Amino acid sequence: MIRTYTLAVNGYERAVAIAPGETLADVLRDKLNLTGTKKGCNLGDCGACTVLVDGEPMNSCLLLASQMEGKQITTIEGVAHNGELAPIQKAFVEEGAVQCGYCTPGMILSSVALLNRNPRPTVEEIKNGLAGNLCRCTGYTGIIRAVERCENYRDGGTCAKKEAPKAENSRFTSVSLPMPRVDSADKVTGRARFTADISLPNMAHGKILGSPIAHGRIKRIDISKAKALPGVLAVITGADVPDTQHGVSPARYDEYVLAKEKVLHEGDNVAAVAAVDERTAERALELIEVEYEELPVVLDAMEAIAEGAPQLHERYKRNINTVVDHSFGDVEKGFAEADFVREETFVGNNTHQAPLEPHASMAYWEYDGSVVLYTSTQAPHYVQYMLAHVLHIPLGKIRVIRPAVGGGFGCKAATSPLDLCSVILSKITGRPVRMVFSREQMIHYGRGRHKQHMKMKLGLDRNGKIKAFQSEIYLDGGAYTSFGVATSYYAGSMMPTLYHIPNYKYNGYRVMTNKPACGAFRGHGVPQPRFAFECLLNMMAEDIGIDPIEIRLRNAMTPNTRTVNDLDIKSCEFTATLQAAREKSGWSEKYGKLPKGKGIGIGSGGFVSGAGYAIYRGQVQLSHEKPVEHFVKKPIFPHANAIVKVNEDGMAVIVLIGAAEIGQGGDTVMVQVAAEALGIPPSRIRVRTEDSDISPIDLGAYSSRVTLMGGNAVKNAALAVVEKMKPYAAALLGCQESQVAVGDAQMFVSGDKTRSVAWEEVARKYFNDCGPLVGTGCYKPPQGLGGDYKGATVGTSPAYSFGSSVCEVAVDLETGKVKVEKFTDFHDCGTPINPQMVHGQVEGAMVMGASETVMEEVQFDKSGHITNPNLHGYLIMTIKDAPEVFSGIVDSYEPEGPFGAKEIGEGCTCTVLGAVAHAIANATGVWVKDLPITPEKILKAIHAKQAVPEMVSTATDD
Amino acid sequence: MVLTDIEFHEANTLEEASEWMGQYAPNARLMAGGTDVLVDLKTGRYSTSHVVSLNRIFALRGLTTTNGSLRIGALTTPNQLRASTVIWERFPAILDAVRDMAVPQIRNMATVGGNVAGAVPSGDMPPILIVLNASVILWSRSREREVPLEGFFVGPRQTVRRDDEILTEIRVPYPPPRFGAAYSRFALREANGCAVATVAASLRLDEKGIIRDARVCVGAVAPIPKLAQKAGAVLIGKPAGNAAFRQAAEEAQEISQPISDIRSSADYRRELIGVLTRRALDAARQRALGERP
Repeated sequence: MIRTYTLAVNGYERAVAIAPGETLADVLRDKLNLTGTKKGCNLGDCGACTVLVDGEPMNSCLLLASQMEGKQITTIEGVAHNGELAPIQKAFVEEGAVQCGYCTPGMILSSVALLNRNPRPTVEEIKNGLAGNLCRCTGYTGIIRAVERCENYRDGGTCAKKEAPKAENSRFTSVSLPMPRVDSADKVTGRARFTADISLPNMAHGKILGSPIAHGRIKRIDISKAKALPGVLAVITGADVPDTQHGVSPARYDEYVLAKEKVLHEGDNVAAVAAVDERTAERALELIEVEYEELPVVLDAMEAIAEGAPQLHERYKRNINTVVDHSFGDVEKGFAEADFVREETFVGNNTHQAPLEPHASMAYWEYDGSVVLYTSTQAPHYVQYMLAHVLHIPLGKIRVIRPAVGGGFGCKAATSPLDLCSVILSKITGRPVRMVFSREQMIHYGRGRHKQHMKMKLGLDRNGKIKAFQSEIYLDGGAYTSFGVATSYYAGSMMPTLYHIPNYKYNGYRVMTNKPACGAFRGHGVPQPRFAFECLLNMMAEDIGIDPIEIRLRNAMTPNTRTVNDLDIKSCEFTATLQAAREKSGWSEKYGKLPKGKGIGIGSGGFVSGAGYAIYRGQVQLSHEKPVEHFVKKPIFPHANAIVKVNEDGMAVIVLIGAAEIGQGGDTVMVQVAAEALGIPPSRIRVRTEDSDISPIDLGAYSSRVTLMGGNAVKNAALAVVEKMKPYAAALLGCQESQVAVGDAQMFVSGDKTRSVAWEEVARKYFNDCGPLVGTGCYKPPQGLGGDYKGATVGTSPAYSFGSSVCEVAVDLETGKVKVEKFTDFHDCGTPINPQMVHGQVEGAMVMGASETVMEEVQFDKSGHITNPNLHGYLIMTIKDAPEVFSGIVDSYEPEGPFGAKEIGEGCTCTVLGAVAHAIANATGVWVKDLPITPEKILKAIHAKQAVPEMVSTATDD
Repeated sequence: MVLTDIEFHEANTLEEASEWMGQYAPNARLMAGGTDVLVDLKTGRYSTSHVVSLNRIFALRGLTTTNGSLRIGALTTPNQLRASTVIWERFPAILDAVRDMAVPQIRNMATVGGNVAGAVPSGDMPPILIVLNASVILWSRSREREVPLEGFFVGPRQTVRRDDEILTEIRVPYPPPRFGAAYSRFALREANGCAVATVAASLRLDEKGIIRDARVCVGAVAPIPKLAQKAGAVLIGKPAGNAAFRQAAEEAQEISQPISDIRSSADYRRELIGVLTRRALDAARQRALGERP
């Protein structure tokens, strides 16, 4: 029975009509419009919905609102007072404790409760206090710094006082500046709006019905009962959606919006509903009757390729979806010349990105037949492109708005079923339709890391120089292609970028199984083969008695090198990362000298700074009718495009670019690049990246491309503005145009800063004469990247990053439990635009990578049912598990990057898995070669070694 | 299922709660903190038409001390236990269990009574309470009965509690001199990790350090938290030390009936029980000797 309750929220009493089963989280969000309280899991596992109840932190998704009368509730909106950030909020902003911002409200409320109780917590106490708040971006490192800085919180002490950041590189003013993110104040106050936070008038709520079985034929669907339920506005099935298939790789579009005949994995999309509210939509799902003819399932890649295995798609014989056959140099000869050859088999794990924000979409149609889609995506343009393709409407009729995105790591890089269904349902209902995945649906939708079965063979000469390397990889792709073609190529192509490998052979097979489709997950295809390679290199270094860091130095990639597979390396300070990591970690004092149970290990890695080619071929597509264009070895259109628009008074600049901010800090990078190029402070610049109607195309936040490509486009647009201003400045200064320089918000005569005029003054003069002061700029990757063989495009990039991580662990030798204690990482990311954000990426990647290595795996039972589709079964590291991270940046300058910058976010993931595995082997004396390296596997390997030391070399080795 | 489709009843008294339960059972559930019940309902572990909430029965909150025992009200939260001087001074072993249970938010919401009555095999409170010789009070309109905790559990999520009975209190006798208890737990991560295997142990030593009483209870490795009778028995009369603890560990492994699930295999769980038993016994010994808090 709905009743009116009085809730005291943030110091005010509010009368609210509440049904007894409504949770406080829903009432705060839906009825009080306090959307700063986030829903990350709805089951009390993530802490994003944390509020304070009488000062104590609690999960509002597990509190009944009807039981909250008489209690004082504090939400994130109640932490700042009169627009002034509380000290803890300022500390979060300044210490880089915020990335995507989705965990931030809950994290801050837990911090407030902790600091109120204990104004000077130790690191241990901070970890205990924040143990119930998961974060996937920061690695918790910045968060601990922020709370530590607030030790005098209660007395109004020093927390909020910090010196203004300064550029770390004297050549620049706004670049190399560790300034706070431009979106962090919004994220610490709950003002940042994520897709599910946005409501429109007359909005309906949509839900998708997933298949309960992993493989089957749909015999009958009866939607009549669902349709008859009062409040239901529309119910659609496979019969109601276009016959056009979609996906990511144009050659292998194989997904329907809703299943037409068959379901191929648990959770496969079967039907969708729109209703007046979420609960009605949920009830309607329960009323849809589907009769399936169950088909046999195949869940293992190695079984799926066998003759007679159940087939998923007609077109992929023996379930083989992609085949790669690459051979460079002469591996046979290389191995023959090698003094040492070792072959090992490694197995990866199917991990999920698990960003804190679940996917969400909201669509409505405009009067002119265009559609507006709000979506939590990493790649707005590809969503636009895919909607045009599936719905047969011109791209220009589709407006994609990307609100704040709570992390992606690859699982939001493809067009989601929510995007497609919300657009279709809003057309049918004539209303805006909002749809949000549950945590379970996110995992059922998948797009996580492929589980790779990797056989690797390495040949070294007596000095440890690589003579030949060969790998054979079977990638378990799940039920659809998604990004999988690229994944299969990346798994091979990136191997020769880190070390000089004269002879290289790679055979890759992507295999379909009745599991959610795998996709691009941070480091796209590379982290597992990199893990395997780094392990093998470490094993052999130890076999032949060369220090593992030394063997890397002997093989390390050098600048301006064309690799054996035709990738062009320009800047490369890999050697410097190894040397710095060795010194800073105290490697020489520790390696080989630690007591049993303690271990140290090294892993290296790197990644592209943006893919050299777009995902689809040819030019920007007009509609689905356009045939797929032939591939040509040059970018057809610019991958990043920017407009820099100066306000009429010259006091503000707006940067327009569609580069997706997903928590990684893209917006802040764009601001800093524009500021450097324009010669004005970042505080005068605002950035608009979220709306395709406002900002020109950028391909999106994938393949670590935003800093380099988006940054270059913005830099070029900003320089165009400066060029337009120069004649006016020259006239005012009485000098030649060529003598005009910019900086410190002035235009001045080069070499003589005393002859200057205010920047805004010049901008106003320009406006008076010519109208709007606008510059445009774009970035096309260099022409001709890559070789001339099949698949040569994957792995091409304008620039490559390099890094090395030393990991230290402690292993409980009785239980096998690993405590990852510390990372010392050095990275070559070119010249960083924002060092604080670089460190934030590294800190996050170390923890995410370590978490993947020791605890993460999506698990299935024999029927293909996922047994851990939630955040208490699918484990990611909590703040108490997270290691300490030291992140260092080596001096580097990338000529192709904006002001010398290249990528950081994905390369730093690639180093981690191998480093952790090595440290564990170093601590225990056994190698565990299948991920995740769980306590159980470690103990088993230890026992096996104790039992029959000479017979365990295939499973374990020292 | 959709939570708003359920009828929630807010009981102000035990009588009211009992009446509703009598009226709606078996289609009704008792709820205290809600951290299990609401999750189970949201995920469809079971469905129900009625939920009777005990949250407003304030008499069930908090700790009281009597001559011989500590009485823990069923609605006491784990964090309230953590903040209690009596617990710190007299029952440090309870802190072992509370410290690593779930996360701070849940420890502010969940209740000790719920953790016990919910009878989830991996529950953290039951093993330690069992080795502390605790009992539960089951109240119904017709009578109140006291059940030793070791006899309370029947199977996963099943206990001897009848539908019309309400678990109101947990009684823990004050420990005798030279008594020590401890709880060892293994989980796959440091916070919010469901227990993979747990062992609680208690020892009473004489002046010479010989074990006079011993209890070992294993958790998460059987349908119920299980008192390992033989493990206790082999310890009695022996000096408290590794040799005896190893024997007890073998007995504890013997009585375990672990399953394989997403967290680990049965074999690994059994192995853990051996390690955890030795560790719990050693910590209990140290407490009995006053060597650790």
